[in-house]
Amino acid sequence: MARRRGKSSDMGKNNDETLLWAGLATAGVVSLVVIASLALAPIVSIGPEEGNRAPDFVADAYNGGSWYEFRMSDIWDWDWDGNSSDSKWILIQFIDTDCPYCWEEGDEMSQYHAQWKDRVTFVTVSVHLNIPNHDSSKSEIEAFRDKTSFGTNENDGDGCNSGRDNCNTRPGTSHQWTYVDDPSNSIFAQWELGGTPFTAILQPDGIVAWNKLKHQGQGGDGEDLPSALQRLVGDS
Amino acid sequence: MMSVLSLELGIFIAGILGASAILQKNFQEPGNEGTKGVITSGLLFTTVGIVASGWTWSIHNSLMESGSSSMCASEGLVQCGSVIGDPQWNNLLGMPWGVIGIASFAVIFFVLMTLFLDQNAKRSPQFVNYLWYLGIAGLPFVAWLVVVELLLVEGAPHICPYCTVIHLSMIGVFVSAHLLKKRRGNSTW
Repeated sequence: MARRRGKSSDMGKNNDETLLWAGLATAGVVSLVVIASLALAPIVSIGPEEGNRAPDFVADAYNGGSWYEFRMSDIWDWDWDGNSSDSKWILIQFIDTDCPYCWEEGDEMSQYHAQWKDRVTFVTVSVHLNIPNHDSSKSEIEAFRDKTSFGTNENDGDGCNSGRDNCNTRPGTSHQWTYVDDPSNSIFAQWELGGTPFTAILQPDGIVAWNKLKHQGQGGDGEDLPSALQRLVGDS
Repeated sequence: MMSVLSLELGIFIAGILGASAILQKNFQEPGNEGTKGVITSGLLFTTVGIVASGWTWSIHNSLMESGSSSMCASEGLVQCGSVIGDPQWNNLLGMPWGVIGIASFAVIFFVLMTLFLDQNAKRSPQFVNYLWYLGIAGLPFVAWLVVVELLLVEGAPHICPYCTVIHLSMIGVFVSAHLLKKRRGNSTW
């Protein structure tokens, strides 16, 4: 038997204990690595729920002059101590340029910006909902933001508000803040949203402080956006 | 430069070099001892891969917590911050690549450990094939992640040294698997 084992090409029997020991060794190594990794830096809760770190993203953004690469966390103040009024809070809004409710919300957003712009950074994410007459484009996003001419006031599918209106007739003033394009709806998905418009308020360090769906959804306390801004940020 | 060449990186590089040396010494050695050496080198590559994946996962978590990490540089060409901290590219189905690396190398580790514990078992030819397929499957991911580092992340090109250690480990696993498959083919097992 010993001579047969000595042959290099000889194959013996399977021993189930080998699999058990290999499994235990693998589990041991993986457990050690996972425990050490988590001890060095625990997992951070990321998501749209209040108290979590808001999902970070990199996307094309328009600031009124040009498109550029925008990273959400670049505007966070990671060192915010919870009290400093030097750091700006963040209002993130999700719209579709063809969504009628977003069209109407344009005026409210103009008012909120006028009131809180010194203490709150506004960011609007423009998603592309898969709905008929909701075809959007960078040009349409620019026109929605700037209130410039795009499309017609005929209900012909051309322009904003389900293609019913020229974008230059949007309620409110032109929006003097960053608009982000989300053509694949990936940011929309990270925020686990089902529709637009949606708004959330982030602390200066990127922690979600107010989520519209929690307060205005089923079982919520009904707190609306201006009340939340007043409570969290205070007087403008 | 000092922030790039850390003790941890030195240990990982030593692991890769050690595994390569064991492979070099044994791959032409016929018989059980040579085979055992090639399996051992594969196990060492895999261990480096698992530990380095865990390290990148920690870097990812610390970047998510505070926006910076003391575990790797975040400025310059050779750095981790822009690669591991990139929310768009350090992500597969919502999981950071570090976690995927730990899981993938764990499967490879199990197959190699099974071979190591009983290289003459009846199942060995089958497990060598599994190992070879796992090695082959890892290579496109390595290629893709190099493209991501060099072309796609914010401020590209960047080279993440710990990611490179993991890529080299995967390549080492594939080479070990390929040599084991050859040994089975030409009866030098």
